[in-house]
Amino acid sequence: MGNLKETFVTPLLKGNPITVLVLGICSSLAVTVELKGALVMALSVTIVTGLSSLVCSLLRNTIPNRVRIIIQLVVVSLMVILVDQFLKAFEATYAIDKSLSVYIGLIITNCIVMGRIEAFALGNKPFPSLVDGIASGMGYGAILIIVAFFRELLGSGTLFGLQVIPQALYDAGYVNNGLVILPPFALILLGCIIWVHRSIDKELQEK
Amino acid sequence: MNTNSNAYTVIYTTIVVVLVAAILAFVSQKLGPMQAANEKAETVSQILTAAGFGEKEHWAEIGNKATLDFYKENIESSILVDIDAQQVGNLDGSAAQVYSTSQLKAQNYNIKDGSSLQLPVYQFKNKVMVFPVYGAGLWGPVWGYIAVADDFKTIVGAYFDHEGETPGLGGKIKDDPSFRAQFAGKVIDLSDEKPFSIVKGGAPEGKANAVDAVTGATMTSKGLDAAINTWVAAYGKTLLSGEAVNAFVEAVNECTDTTAVKEVLEETLKTVEE
Repeated sequence: MGNLKETFVTPLLKGNPITVLVLGICSSLAVTVELKGALVMALSVTIVTGLSSLVCSLLRNTIPNRVRIIIQLVVVSLMVILVDQFLKAFEATYAIDKSLSVYIGLIITNCIVMGRIEAFALGNKPFPSLVDGIASGMGYGAILIIVAFFRELLGSGTLFGLQVIPQALYDAGYVNNGLVILPPFALILLGCIIWVHRSIDKELQEK
Repeated sequence: MNTNSNAYTVIYTTIVVVLVAAILAFVSQKLGPMQAANEKAETVSQILTAAGFGEKEHWAEIGNKATLDFYKENIESSILVDIDAQQVGNLDGSAAQVYSTSQLKAQNYNIKDGSSLQLPVYQFKNKVMVFPVYGAGLWGPVWGYIAVADDFKTIVGAYFDHEGETPGLGGKIKDDPSFRAQFAGKVIDLSDEKPFSIVKGGAPEGKANAVDAVTGATMTSKGLDAAINTWVAAYGKTLLSGEAVNAFVEAVNECTDTTAVKEVLEETLKTVEE
């Protein structure tokens, strides 16, 4: 059981896909303008990594080695397309899916998904693989939400679309920062998060 | 069992792919109608936003059904016209039937290569007329809806959308309310060489048929400019005939006896023929 706990906690902290493995950077720059989008993206990736790892782990002894990447891709694409189709079908998520545009589809190419399947699911039993997949998705999602929090607050003055910076401040001359909306700022913010993470966790520092 | 033999590999991949395809086909079949309903409600909400019935967020708040109901209540007629302003079809307003983005795309090709057109005109009960525009932005298509008042010239509102313009730059055509707000009160001037302009660096003072482009999004602004002018040209005769009818009605109203009405009628017929 202790092993399973470690499987779950590692991708969240010591093996965080974004801050330690530095995977999935592209989409984390693109979908973090608003918290709502980041949250949906985080959930989508978590579902995709979890289910893909589960299915690939179930198939791990039958997959022909020469075509294993292709089989993994087919499984991952299936999950991604399913998530996309469901998001499009429901009224509540339709608008968010629209604003995330291509990035839901691009989860297929998110290195975290394939990375966890290759590194973990193919060598482990289904349940630990599911846990690892979900935890990796959550580790990715957590960073996404932190970045989106700062970007939406500083860039639009809102959180989840609700105005939090009072109008009085705007009247006094405060303006939303346009740079924060653009992808380069997400990269700067990510750098800061990695910096903080490394200074707290001494084990991550190179000698 | 040898999982590395050729036969095993071929059979295995075939089974996996067929299975996945079957799952996807099944899901797409089941969810298709729901997705289509969402897309339709989105289009209707864009048309209503352009026509000035409410902000875009309002329609998201009240939900799909209420949005469609509002449209059905307020639509006077929704017809299809060709380049000569002849009615060539009908959209069922009571079912909130509207042109989808892919249908606009098809019509855009027809405009470009000069084939016969079926362009939608949405006429609301409050005399506002809405027509779509469609064209190419920087990364993908841009489209929108322009609402004109009953003089067929004055714009009362507009709404634009895009597939993948850069957020914060080209994306502003949709996200920045102040860009859209510029359109209200401007006019479409068909006598001008360019009926409507989106001007980089700011519209000249006093020019009634121009708005400022989006800063940092030259290509998107140019694309939208081209989309508007291409489609306004295609709707040109529809707009002009609307104006002609207005002028005719006004002239008839001023008449005091039947001979005067006859004169006006003859004169109008003459100009129409010309």
